[in-house]
Amino acid sequence: MSRYLLGRLAFALVTLLAVVTVTFFLVRLAPGGPFDGERRLPPEVEANLRAAYDLDKPVVVQYGRYLARLVRGDLGPSFRQKDFSVNDLIAMGLPISVGVGLTALTLALLLGVTGGTFAALSRDGPRDRMLVLGATLGLALPPIVVAPVLVLVFAVTLGWFPAGGYATAKHFVLPAATLALPYAAAFMRLTRGSVAEVMQRPHVVTARAKGLSPFRLVARHVLPSALLPVVSFLGPAAAALLAGSMVIEEVFSLPGLGRYFVQGALNRDYTLVTGAVIVYAALVLTFNLLVDLGYARLDPRIRHA
Amino acid sequence: MREVLFGSPLAWACSVVLAIVALAAMAGPWLSPWAFDAVDWDAIDAAPSTAHWFGTDGVGRDLLARTLTGARVSIVIAISATLVSCLIGIPWGAAAGYIGGPTDMTMMRIVDGLYALPFILLVILLVVLFGRNVVLLFVALGAVSWLDLARIVRGQTLAAKNEAYVEAARAMGVGTPGILVRHIVPNVAGPALVYATLTVPGVIIAESFLSFLGLGVQEPQTSWGVLIADGAREMRSSPWQLIFPASMLALTLFALNVLGDRMRDALDVPDRARSKTLKTQAGR
Amino acid sequence: MLLAATALLLSSAANAAELRIGNGGEPLTLDPHRYNLNLEEKILADLFEGLTAHDAEGRIVPGVAEGWTTSADGLTWTFQLRRDARWSDGEPVTAADFVFSFRRLLDPATAASLAYFLYAIEGAADVNAGRTSPDTLAVRALGTHFLEIRLAEPFPFFAERLIYPTGYPVPRHIVEELGDDWVKPGNMVTNGAFVLADWQPQGFVRVVANPHYRDATNVGLEALTYYPTADPNAAYNRYRSGELDIIGDFPPGEVAWLRREMPEHLHISPLLSIMYLVFNVSEPPFDDVRVRRALSLAIDRELITGRVLESGEVPSTSFVPPMVENYASAVRDRSVDADAARRLLAEAGYHDDNPLRVTLRYIAGADSKKVQVAIAAMWKAIGVETALHHAELNAHFAELRQGNFQVAQAGWFGENNPEHYLELLMSSTGDVNYGRFADTEVDALMTEAKRTADLDQRLALLRRAEAAALALDPVVPLYAVTIRSLVDPRITGWRTNARNTHPARYLDIRR
Repeated sequence: MSRYLLGRLAFALVTLLAVVTVTFFLVRLAPGGPFDGERRLPPEVEANLRAAYDLDKPVVVQYGRYLARLVRGDLGPSFRQKDFSVNDLIAMGLPISVGVGLTALTLALLLGVTGGTFAALSRDGPRDRMLVLGATLGLALPPIVVAPVLVLVFAVTLGWFPAGGYATAKHFVLPAATLALPYAAAFMRLTRGSVAEVMQRPHVVTARAKGLSPFRLVARHVLPSALLPVVSFLGPAAAALLAGSMVIEEVFSLPGLGRYFVQGALNRDYTLVTGAVIVYAALVLTFNLLVDLGYARLDPRIRHA
Repeated sequence: MREVLFGSPLAWACSVVLAIVALAAMAGPWLSPWAFDAVDWDAIDAAPSTAHWFGTDGVGRDLLARTLTGARVSIVIAISATLVSCLIGIPWGAAAGYIGGPTDMTMMRIVDGLYALPFILLVILLVVLFGRNVVLLFVALGAVSWLDLARIVRGQTLAAKNEAYVEAARAMGVGTPGILVRHIVPNVAGPALVYATLTVPGVIIAESFLSFLGLGVQEPQTSWGVLIADGAREMRSSPWQLIFPASMLALTLFALNVLGDRMRDALDVPDRARSKTLKTQAGR
Repeated sequence: MLLAATALLLSSAANAAELRIGNGGEPLTLDPHRYNLNLEEKILADLFEGLTAHDAEGRIVPGVAEGWTTSADGLTWTFQLRRDARWSDGEPVTAADFVFSFRRLLDPATAASLAYFLYAIEGAADVNAGRTSPDTLAVRALGTHFLEIRLAEPFPFFAERLIYPTGYPVPRHIVEELGDDWVKPGNMVTNGAFVLADWQPQGFVRVVANPHYRDATNVGLEALTYYPTADPNAAYNRYRSGELDIIGDFPPGEVAWLRREMPEHLHISPLLSIMYLVFNVSEPPFDDVRVRRALSLAIDRELITGRVLESGEVPSTSFVPPMVENYASAVRDRSVDADAARRLLAEAGYHDDNPLRVTLRYIAGADSKKVQVAIAAMWKAIGVETALHHAELNAHFAELRQGNFQVAQAGWFGENNPEHYLELLMSSTGDVNYGRFADTEVDALMTEAKRTADLDQRLALLRRAEAAALALDPVVPLYAVTIRSLVDPRITGWRTNARNTHPARYLDIRR
């Protein structure tokens, strides 16, 4: 088990280093510098700025210095947000992104697993058909359509929830709901298929023949094994969810990591972009590691493999 | 295939919808008397009417013409990106499955690692840093959507390789190219095609994300994502600018998903592979 | 009980004299010497006060300086500072603070990107280039309350130039103690009507009234929060659902509805600015004046401002914004003439079998997209095929400065001073003369104007320079931009003005 863990950890670190390297050089390959603005900069001034950010050194030296600082957990100063370091910014943005992401994930899981189980229990009945249709529809409505409609209805017209910002828990409702919708649909379809499959297994058929109540049957005998594919989907889902939160953060003016990333990329804030990508990747890798460990616990076959 | 496309009323309806969208996208220029970039100075921001069935946008351009042009661009990007993903995913999966052993291990480990990355970040970086053009857009989207395909192709190759008749052929001295062409490719082609089709809705959604962030195609060209992003901004004063392109997009995605499900069911693919594919559809 | 507590909270929020402002984007710094953006200027103007300042109407009025004198040659400016000017920690604001601040701004170590705003001061350019030490700058304290500044050339608009944050004082005693950390919330000491309370990047900047401000008794608001509302649509949603009290931009399509339903919220006014197209004259096809004039003649400004934008933008054929005071442009109205345009194109060798193909670059954004699409359609009418290319503001101007374009949208705003705009057409201006336009007559007239201390003579020379330049069509002036604001009608003291400046010390909210 610990060898398995160490192997996964080493693999995750190698992946992370690859991400750091690719992002670092990609950003520096791009045309246009970080100090290009609307107003002119005399060459003296630009030289001063470049020196202040080490940009006057060869790229390899910059890369070396960056890695050396990274090992100490220092993502460097932000190029554009001059009064803050990248660490400062990420420390402020990350909790917001993770908060919205986790809320959405929980919401999607609750809706998806419940809906999926119900659908499977009345397979091919009218309720099942409705739920499946709803899920397919959920997948067909991208957040860029759903978000503005939700804002118009629930914020501007009804005034139930704020249209943007992040002061209270209420502010998270619309963004989390928008973000959760396609994943709830995906979880639902997954659960439906897998519950239906487990229902055919001999031990479940026996239990059902014994006259176990549907609720206890599902809770005790079906869900524990039927949820395996759902658990394995959690890893990629989390990665996609975090990325999806970028659009959500833009629409709802949430100052999360995604917004820093998008704004950083548009403004060529080299260090902020690289830092955001590293943190994203590290988060997702960690989450995947946890999911894999959880999966290994649930499914004995993996432990022996 | 006929069973998949027309086996139920819903499937039948979806096939018809897709056919109509595809035809309309192709016939676009002849369906509307207006060119997609022509300005009608007397009908700026006009509601749907007999002159402009879908209304006009904020500069007086016919929305029907633009929605159809947008359909064309979105579909072309989706198909091109899918082709790019085939170009990477099929050889990768086939090589891993066919060679096997440590090579297979390493190659699939890489795929696993890539699954963990929020790819859209790299696409955004590429598009922001190297400018917006359609070719870059579909190459970048294709380059990040090949993982499912590689997995499926590997599985099929692996299965085919171990079939008795392949082993027999090898024993009779048929070379690697011969085995690949005669036995592996025919077995892999069907599922690969299905999974390639399933990539399409994911790419359409990803393109709409990028357009929403202002990173899509350039004016006067347009795409569904660009039209929706613009329409969302004016949805209160000119709701038609959002409603038409958004319903067109939603209908297309819905139809693609329904038919995709049926194809997958017809092939009966295992759940773990399916769970990965859902990610592509749920958006990135 | 809980209900009562909530009600109490709500009522106290409604009663507190606080404003929530959608400020259009995230400030990248609050250090007045390192700032670069207009939206930073707005926050800084509430935190600091320079020698001169804006009043509620956007006029230049005395700030920390209660008065000033100028020598006959226009070179020596002596400012008399108010005795009651204080920092927010109670320390007096002195002439030595200003000397320290001007030196700090121009010190290369500060890396101030807008340091050149004060290159008019003798020795400034040399100091900023690191050729001479900061103490050679011609800014001297004469005792505690007098400040003498010597200029390199006469510059009658210097008092206006001092209203930018680059001219703000910074507290020497704090900056020397804390270094770059002095701008962080909790450390920052300022001399304006407000002082920084909190800053969450991409979240908000919160400032509260400064009790030590010299005119604190006349400041009505207790606190202000600026939100970085980069997306006009999101800002509009938040205004409409009552989460913001003032926003400075919203989707253009909403204007008609707002005029009808919420007219008391709506403020639309032209900004002291010029939006224009610039041709890259250094390479074909726009090295040919006939091609430039043809494209210029095809553009119908009235159609753009009246039908496409519809927010009261002021069409302009002159490069100096029409609302600049004391300046009557010599450039007469030029009417649309498609036939003449086609003729000019044909003379230059372009016709239906060999159409002119150009790429028009523009800044990403709803308004500018509509305008460029309209312009492309107008050019199509004279047989020109236009490809459009949009980019983010920074990337756009980076390309322009590198001369990497054919024809592009550009804009310039800010000063009530024709030179500020016409300088863009001097060959010595460098890369913000995006099109690399160079004409000896224009250069000579501009240089002569800059040496002239007498304002009337100076303006006359500038007028001749503009006429000479526009006769060669290096740019197509389009219109003066409008500012569309939504302001809660309970707010008092909001005066619409061409500089779009609204110092919060003049604002209040009716309770």
